[in-house]
Amino acid sequence: MTSMDQIEQDLRYVRSAVEQAGASPTPRLLCFLWAALGGVGFALVDLRDAWVPAYWAVAGPAGFVVSAVLGWRHARRLGQGTARDGARHMLHWGGMLGAIALAVLLPARGLVPASAAGPVILLLLALGYFQAGVHLDPAFRWVGLLLATGYVLVLTMTTWGWLTLGVLFALALVATGLRAGADGTGD
Amino acid sequence: MAPATDTPAAGPWEALDGLDPLLQHRARIAAAVLLSRHGALSFSRLKALLGETDGNLGAQLRKLEDAGYIGVRKEFQDRRPVTWYRLTPKGRRGLASHLETLDRLVATARARD
Repeated sequence: MTSMDQIEQDLRYVRSAVEQAGASPTPRLLCFLWAALGGVGFALVDLRDAWVPAYWAVAGPAGFVVSAVLGWRHARRLGQGTARDGARHMLHWGGMLGAIALAVLLPARGLVPASAAGPVILLLLALGYFQAGVHLDPAFRWVGLLLATGYVLVLTMTTWGWLTLGVLFALALVATGLRAGADGTGD
Repeated sequence: MAPATDTPAAGPWEALDGLDPLLQHRARIAAAVLLSRHGALSFSRLKALLGETDGNLGAQLRKLEDAGYIGVRKEFQDRRPVTWYRLTPKGRRGLASHLETLDRLVATARARD
């Protein structure tokens, strides 16, 4: 074997290890947490419309903090990085949360009707989950697509559109969580 | 142009001289690359990712540690001892230089094909 062959073989070995390290699935508990928070949050639009702003004002930031703790614990148990990977996740999800907080200013300032706030936020969520699927965990692509479909659903379904979306979103994240835990590294 | 040989000093293989001998072992370079991407990794995680035995991985990591390329931190998690590894600034520089040389080597070899 030439030196070049040896180098190529070693580089394939390195690439395989890097790909394996990058394929770590999302912790199971994180998926279940957002299945519950999102499922209830979406359903509330149809069931108790007035509670929605207060619910998300508490559930959004609290869920974010709990997620950060769960993610940190997961990384420690897995034995893989903490600061760098954590920062990547925090920037992604924190950025999405920030965009949603800013989107709330639109109806608050009267620039769009209050009824448009829900679909606009839903569209941001769909984009956030899809981008997470591209950059963090491929399973989130399907959740992003489901949310984008949900966006069309709530625009066209006059009743129970949000409740239906809440149930589907929760089921999708539970399925993602069960897959994440399948290899024993999910929680 | 002379045909490619295994002789490091022949033609494009001169670039081999620029390679860091410490990172010419596949487990050592893989560990260094993983540490540079993830910041810190435990011994058991490295072992799972690299598919090496305890003894071999321990020996390779000790060489990197002795050279000052990686730092080691031991702690207890759920009453179990866990050893964490991190790339030092010296290790980061060594890895960057090694990868740069590899890049040149691959480019030279491709130009010859």
